[in-house]
Amino acid sequence: MELAKQRYYWWNRWALAAIIVLLLVSIPIFTILVKLFAVPGESWNHLVDTQLLGYFKNTILLLFGVAIFASLIGISAAWLVSAYDFPGRRYFEWLLILPLGFPAYIMAYTYTGMLEYTGPLNSFLRNNLGIVTKGSLIDIMNLPGAIFILSITLFPYIFVISRSSFLQQSRTLQEASALLGSSRLRTFLLYLESLQRGNRKYAQANSMSKPFERIKAGKGMKFVFFGICTTIFLISFGLPLLQIFYWVNLTWHKVASWDFLLLIYRSFSLAAGTGFAVVVLSIILLYALRLSPFAWVKNITKIATLGYAIPGAVIAVGIMIPLLNIDKWLMSVFTPQSVGLIFSGTLFALVFAYIVRFMAVGYNPLDAGFQKIGIHVNEASRLLGQGSMRTLWNIDLPLIKTSMLSGILLVFVDVLKELPLTLILRPFNYHTLATKAFDMATNEMIAESANASLVIILTGILPIIFLNRLIRKRNG
Amino acid sequence: MAILKLHNITKKYAKADYFAVNNVSLEVESGEILALVGESGSGKTTLLRLIAGLEHPNDGNISLSGVCIVNGQKSVPANERKVGMVFQDYALFPHLNVLDNVKFGLTGKNINADQVAKDTLQMVGLNENFKKYPHQLSGGQQQRVALARAIAPNPSIILLDEPFSNLDAMLKDQVREEIRQIIKKTKVTAVFVTHDTRDALSTADRIAILHNGLLQQIGTPKSLYEEPVNAYVANFFGKQNSIIASAKDGGFLTPFGFLPDANAYQYTGEVQLLFRPEHVSLGSGEDFPLSGAIFKVSYFGDHQIVKLADPQGKRISLKTTPDKSFDGISTLAFSLNQYKVISDNTIRQKEQV
Repeated sequence: MELAKQRYYWWNRWALAAIIVLLLVSIPIFTILVKLFAVPGESWNHLVDTQLLGYFKNTILLLFGVAIFASLIGISAAWLVSAYDFPGRRYFEWLLILPLGFPAYIMAYTYTGMLEYTGPLNSFLRNNLGIVTKGSLIDIMNLPGAIFILSITLFPYIFVISRSSFLQQSRTLQEASALLGSSRLRTFLLYLESLQRGNRKYAQANSMSKPFERIKAGKGMKFVFFGICTTIFLISFGLPLLQIFYWVNLTWHKVASWDFLLLIYRSFSLAAGTGFAVVVLSIILLYALRLSPFAWVKNITKIATLGYAIPGAVIAVGIMIPLLNIDKWLMSVFTPQSVGLIFSGTLFALVFAYIVRFMAVGYNPLDAGFQKIGIHVNEASRLLGQGSMRTLWNIDLPLIKTSMLSGILLVFVDVLKELPLTLILRPFNYHTLATKAFDMATNEMIAESANASLVIILTGILPIIFLNRLIRKRNG
Repeated sequence: MAILKLHNITKKYAKADYFAVNNVSLEVESGEILALVGESGSGKTTLLRLIAGLEHPNDGNISLSGVCIVNGQKSVPANERKVGMVFQDYALFPHLNVLDNVKFGLTGKNINADQVAKDTLQMVGLNENFKKYPHQLSGGQQQRVALARAIAPNPSIILLDEPFSNLDAMLKDQVREEIRQIIKKTKVTAVFVTHDTRDALSTADRIAILHNGLLQQIGTPKSLYEEPVNAYVANFFGKQNSIIASAKDGGFLTPFGFLPDANAYQYTGEVQLLFRPEHVSLGSGEDFPLSGAIFKVSYFGDHQIVKLADPQGKRISLKTTPDKSFDGISTLAFSLNQYKVISDNTIRQKEQV
């Protein structure tokens, strides 16, 4: 019998490409893991003896404080806009996501400026009401202040997730609960319970279920709800943005220059390039997974997305160590003068680190996109004689266009906002909008820094609006 | 001539502790329609996907048109197998119109793709709507496009996964016949998967029954219905009576009396007798050696079902004409026109089922 053209079914070029991508992306992650178990140095021992307990306590307090406060704001706001109809509800649905575009460090600087002795609040009290305060009226340079700042920048994540869950919950649950005489509040608690159950046992997902029905808020409650949402919006976005506009108005003529435009161009191309790279690498991984006959491949490709759980500064270290070693080795092979630093201290290192850090941001929407179109169209194409590459190009990619766009956009915004990793890995004297804003703010130029901040915030808002539209379109 | 040959195909999914397909060997003749029938989890869809090259067996060989396409761990990729497939959800390309969907498998061939695609669409009964997109078509039209797309590249074999499951009962009979005719007209060999025995009986030339990954029996609908090799196959095609009897000289001793059978000497001890409700005759006298107490009579318009109970209370069903009256009769004599004897080891198999 003829035995032509056969090959091992589990081997293809995609598997090879995926292995290479995985190895590259996991280098810094494994470097960190290895260093975790390395013998601690002297400075670490000193830290353990003197400071560590305090650091640990602060971190835990910050963590729980932010988790509680942000959930409080996020879940209750989501419940209001999902369960009730009141003036402005439609606008709050997306207005309350906008704080996502505000990086925490910019929020922190802005609030510091707003609450300073020379800031608008104290000035107003002093000049108009004659109240002279000693120093700042409200001091936010402490733990509660940090919890406040992080909560108002992070609550939109909770808001978005809760809102979409509330929207997806079936009306049947709501109706059953009402028939049994439960109040709105108890229904809300019931939802939280089913939310938390997620896709575990007894969880129900019924495609036939009717969408959630909003009830009109009563006369008095109407204004209360409107007031709550307005307050959340003003504190987390409106007021700080106004402050930034005020600063920009004061200083833009000092900052606006070719250099500033060049800075924008540089930051944008860095962010867009990284977004593109992340999407391409994610597609390689996900497509290899799609074609692979083995279930465990899924767990392995997940390694590539671990970077999102690791702080930027830690990833920077994980990148520096291996790249420096490669450069040292290169310099030992060739003469140091002829090669110089090729990988470390260059844009390559920076982009590499961004990719490791934000892989998950691009990977997840693409994963969802691939899953949504299902495997059958891909199989149908291959059975019609098209190879895996042509199938990807002609069938899969056209069908996941929106997911690709979402992936690029999300990574773009995250890279634009990224600060700690950029500060460590950027080439000497190389600035992005984020490092420039940070640089100016730390050098007593908060007002000037607002220009760069404004660009970051405004670009951060665009994809939020775009993605919100997408979600809304999907929910019909 | 056999166009598709499966030899000792075995497939076990990772993490599963059973074989999805267990040592299956079968052959499909050129131009015939074979139905793979079984309950869900029987391995029928896995077998179809193994033939397509979308899954890979742990062991075994497959050859198609005389070319070995699977040889243990090595295989020919799906895109080089010349296999057409109609998916259960049709898997039409949503971003391509009807014509481009059908033309998709024709690119790179030295033919007038446009004309071939149009001809194929016309053959499956679609004369217009070529520029429409899949979501603009009804379910039945989508299925025709999927069929046209699979047939157009002139594959060695086409595979259909549950082709009738998405159709409502009214349409089913019509579509079954139409699809059978289209397949026969193109003279293509077809293998389809179904869980519905009526699909298989009405559409297929031959039927293969799978249970727990094992091939139970393969044959024509008539032979499977009338000569099932075991109780599982027998039960698969409608109601089946089963009584325990013991083999004696010249016949079987059953709870309903002594059934003379010249071949009874071939068996010893306890056996199982299988017979369908319609394979009985009612009457009286020597020719009707069995009898039982009437438990219940149900009238169905075109036939009646009489339930008899043996002294232990075990019941059997007999089918009879609608005109017979059973008023005032408490016991009924009958004979078996056709029955199957299953001896020990087969009985045990039935108990496992």
